[in-house]
Amino acid sequence: MVIVRRKELSLRERLYLPEIARGLSITFRKLFEKPITRQYPEEPLPKNEVTRGQPRLVVKDDGNIACVSCGMCEIACPAYAITIDGGETDRPIEREPKKFEIDMLRCILCGFCEEACPKDAIFMSDELELADYSRAALIYDLEKLKRPKSALQKRIDYVYRLNNRWRKSSSTS
Amino acid sequence: MSPELLEIVVWIVKVHVIFLGMVGVAAITTLAERKVSAWMQYRHGPTRVGPQGLLQPLADGVKFIFKESLVPDGANKWMFRFAPALAAGPAMLTVAVIPFGPDVTLFGVTTPFSIVDLDIGLMYILAIGGLSVYGVIVGGWASNSKYSLLGGLRASAQMVSYELSMILAILSVVAISGSLDLREVVMQQKTLGEWNILYQPVAFLLFLIAAFAETNRHPFDFAECEPELVSGFHTEYSAMRFALFALGEYCAMVVMSSVAVALWFGGFSVPFMPEAHWTLGILAFCAKVTCFLFFFLWVRWTLPRFRFDQLMNLGWKVMLPIALVHLFITGAVISFAPQLKSLWNGLVNGAS
Ligand code: SF4
Ligand code: SF4
Repeated sequence: MVIVRRKELSLRERLYLPEIARGLSITFRKLFEKPITRQYPEEPLPKNEVTRGQPRLVVKDDGNIACVSCGMCEIACPAYAITIDGGETDRPIEREPKKFEIDMLRCILCGFCEEACPKDAIFMSDELELADYSRAALIYDLEKLKRPKSALQKRIDYVYRLNNRWRKSSSTS
Repeated sequence: MSPELLEIVVWIVKVHVIFLGMVGVAAITTLAERKVSAWMQYRHGPTRVGPQGLLQPLADGVKFIFKESLVPDGANKWMFRFAPALAAGPAMLTVAVIPFGPDVTLFGVTTPFSIVDLDIGLMYILAIGGLSVYGVIVGGWASNSKYSLLGGLRASAQMVSYELSMILAILSVVAISGSLDLREVVMQQKTLGEWNILYQPVAFLLFLIAAFAETNRHPFDFAECEPELVSGFHTEYSAMRFALFALGEYCAMVVMSSVAVALWFGGFSVPFMPEAHWTLGILAFCAKVTCFLFFFLWVRWTLPRFRFDQLMNLGWKVMLPIALVHLFITGAVISFAPQLKSLWNGLVNGAS
């Protein structure tokens, strides 16, 4: 049990007015201090390669998409956000997606698709803003998902760094 | 134009300038309230509408007009609709007697810059200003909601207790200036040494505290006390009816500030320039009122709310006795030692 004894107020405190004056002086000084609010759309959040934004598909330097429509990300996705329709291509790789859709309203930005992909074809970008007037518009198709490799390079390097660390420690043990 | 007609025209112009100016000031005060509170809390406040959010009151007004004005089920419909007008009306009516400036010359007509020059102006303000509490009570009663009813009851209890000390405080000033006419009181405070604040600081303090209670402002805003009563008497109000309550509150703030300025701080007299032009006089009045309005906001965002029983204790057990004793002493000084005043005058003038 805790017994809290009320503090005896001094005469000065009981008069109340000097204390009010003290309070007023404090708030008046705060009046001139700089606001700490971030004005969000104008002052965006700091982003770096660790930011796990929305997943995007890599377009290689030769202009072709890296994805081979193996379906690993589709299986790995815990939110069932990815829908892939495979198809053929004349490139030596023979397969590429004809349809690749991510429902951005379902995606929970977990990054499992990035982990699952055997071809380094899907990476988490730093794009975070998501707003539109209809649900249909937020199901992103191939065209909306494609990003040049250079735009995702930082993230790709970061993922490699992470994975290498894991490989090293497992090989020594 | 005949002089009579000209006088009427000048009067109409005066009414419009003062009344619209008043509503404008009330609107600007709502913005100031949000800005000042924001700055005191390291925030920006409204910044989106217009440069630095300066047009926010306009946007608010448009929004209030287009919102649906709900009347709750089971409410007393007519009283419910009437209450906001009853709350805002008196506050705006009291503006009529406030002397905003000295004699003004417009189109060759010299006229005092107030809507009417009533020789019982102070009594008028107290009588009409006291009516605005009916709006709060009626609004609370008619809403058919326990929160509103309690808010209204609290407002009435509060008004009764604080109106007394306020009137007694004002009486002390009336006693030394010998007039109920606000303009007359101001005229007696032409120089800095004659400002009533030097003779009646205690009365001013009492008036200030009572003014906070009368205008339902923090730390005495028990009629709307959010933590206990949701939003008190205007819980059920929406749209323009709600806005009218707010307008009434801000107008009452301006009136209280004006009364304080007129009674204690020399009204429209300019310090160190007793013969200043009338424009300067009006500016001086506005500047003084602005300081007071800022003080209202400043206190609101500094102090926590009292408890209701503390409010009653303060009103009846502290303020009222002090006000009574103060009035008694003032009366005694005036009647038994009129020389004291001239002595004090000599001291102050000698010092300045
Ligand atoms: S980030 Fe997660 S939820 Fe989103 S698409 Fe990839 S696996 Fe699915
Ligand atoms: S795991 Fe990679 S390669 Fe396979 S379908 Fe998904 S993105 Fe394409």
